[in-house]
Amino acid sequence: MVETNISKEVIQGFVDGTISVESITLFAVVIGAIFVNNVVLSQFLGICPFLGVSSKVETSLGMGMAVTFVMALSSIVTWALQNYILVPFDIVYMQTIVFILVIAALVQMVEIVLKKVSPSLYQALGIFLPLITTNCAVLGVAIIAVQKDFDLLTTVVYSVSIAVGFAIALVLFAGIRERLETEDVPEGMRGVPIALITAGLLAMAFMGFANVVPLP
Amino acid sequence: MKSTLKNMVLVLFSITAVAALLVALVNNITKETIAQTEQRNKDLAKLEVLPAFEGEAELEEKCREIGDFKVNVTTVKANGELVGYAVEAPSITKNGYGDRIYLMVGFVEQDGKTIVSGVKVISQKETPGLGANMLNPGNSLEQSVLGKSPAELTFAVKKDNGSFDALTGSTISSRAYANAVETAYAGYLWAKGELPSEEDAQSGATTTDTTSWATTTECQNETEPEAQKGEVSNE
Amino acid sequence: MSKLQLITRGIIKDNPTFVLILGMCPTLGVTSSAINGMGMGVATMAVLIMSNMVISMIKNIVPDKVRIPVFIVVIASFVTIIEMLMKAYVPSLYASLGVFIPLIVVNCIILGRAEAFASKNGIVDSALDGIGIGLGFTLSLTAIGAVREILGAGSIFGYTFAGDVMPLLFILAPGGFLVLGYLMVLFNKLAKR
Repeated sequence: MVETNISKEVIQGFVDGTISVESITLFAVVIGAIFVNNVVLSQFLGICPFLGVSSKVETSLGMGMAVTFVMALSSIVTWALQNYILVPFDIVYMQTIVFILVIAALVQMVEIVLKKVSPSLYQALGIFLPLITTNCAVLGVAIIAVQKDFDLLTTVVYSVSIAVGFAIALVLFAGIRERLETEDVPEGMRGVPIALITAGLLAMAFMGFANVVPLP
Repeated sequence: MKSTLKNMVLVLFSITAVAALLVALVNNITKETIAQTEQRNKDLAKLEVLPAFEGEAELEEKCREIGDFKVNVTTVKANGELVGYAVEAPSITKNGYGDRIYLMVGFVEQDGKTIVSGVKVISQKETPGLGANMLNPGNSLEQSVLGKSPAELTFAVKKDNGSFDALTGSTISSRAYANAVETAYAGYLWAKGELPSEEDAQSGATTTDTTSWATTTECQNETEPEAQKGEVSNE
Repeated sequence: MSKLQLITRGIIKDNPTFVLILGMCPTLGVTSSAINGMGMGVATMAVLIMSNMVISMIKNIVPDKVRIPVFIVVIASFVTIIEMLMKAYVPSLYASLGVFIPLIVVNCIILGRAEAFASKNGIVDSALDGIGIGLGFTLSLTAIGAVREILGAGSIFGYTFAGDVMPLLFILAPGGFLVLGYLMVLFNKLAKR
């Protein structure tokens, strides 16, 4: 009598050497990246721009858009580099150096192209672009996406969702900070400390999204 | 220093080239040592997850490639007597928070029953202080399987009606851990030729068909296992 | 500025965490326990000292406009090399500090100090700056980790005294923000005196 408590996916792995991982819907990827695992409020990436440029809603929106743009582009490039250069040539150990260089170059290129092609968009996003090179979220997300073995479509959707999550956190936070400016905050808490405490409360609110969708 | 196109390209290019060369050089120097260290750790882990025994260990490896992963089953014998099975397995169908979780799981047979004699985490990239707590001896996940019979476990966390006590605040890591134990148990059954085939699992049928895969499953071992024989001993 | 001042400055006056507000991502990410905070601090200090020295050495040949990419390449290669060396020759140390090493690349403290100090000062001073800032970072991270561990897990340096009764919230993400915020208030208050 063979009663088994082993799932059929695992058994299938041993039988024919392939794995059918429960497929994650793109919807789950989107919701997971924006809300459940919000890049700033639960993964602690991109905190510096989060604290730095989030004092006005308008600038936050600009920064959010710039990050979305760069993340989408860099995710495509790093995905291609990982799968067509690093892995085939067995030089995955160069990953960090290659990715960070690509992101830096990409940001410069976006800046130059934008200046020529769409001066109005450049005016809106321009000042944020140099800040993005040092935004650890961009490198962090590129590495996470590669680690999770996503295909190209999922990688792009994931990266854009992460960036949207970043933008949402930034704008929400800026809204609260604009209000705080008119409030009488105790002296020692003014500036960054109250911002951090606000972020803590916001992170608590985002914890409510836990387990809404199965995570990638 | 003033920037001209020429010196910008030159400096950036040469510094990147030097950096890449250095990294490649260090990689070449350390590659072998790292592989040896990892192999030694795995060999030690094999004995750590099994009960102590007298005399020299004889190891027999059996390996199954599943996609990009390998499940490695080592049968450990001492003085001709079976000590147990040490199975190295990744969480093949579930990712942890960071990456797959690799476990070494020991199985011993007592009174016709299989019992988990030990679990050791081989590699994990979970969050320090949360999922990475699976490295701590005596953590809740380890306690959920140690000394238990794997046939009676449900490979899921308590939240999903399974038998694994999840680490506090780390459901995803805990699910992957349970999946790795499941894979290890499947590997153990597979090595003994007792793993039910896929159709059996679906229909709950009673026959076991081992012929189709038992013979075609060796994976290429880059590291030669011969050196282990006789070298490792456990008092 | 005297050599000693260069070191002590990093602990109070230019404390990287509480005053300069640099490297927030690893600060919040790894301080779920005191020992983790300490591990990250020590690993960062090692990279910081060396990258400061190298950047101070090459500062005169780097054109301004490619400064940042060059610094990033230097830091990333350092981190990769240190990771490989540790893995190969001190595996026991790697086992305890290893998870933090890749995180150092995205730590803006290193780039921040390269830009603000090492690219303008000599090798010895840059190394001392690395030691000072590194010490300040280590102490701050250990303090944050200790507070979060005590409040969230009821233990300190792995020694448990209260166990499950403490609110786990402090180990999770919101607790990181809250503890850092309140500690910053406390630090400002004490440092001002």
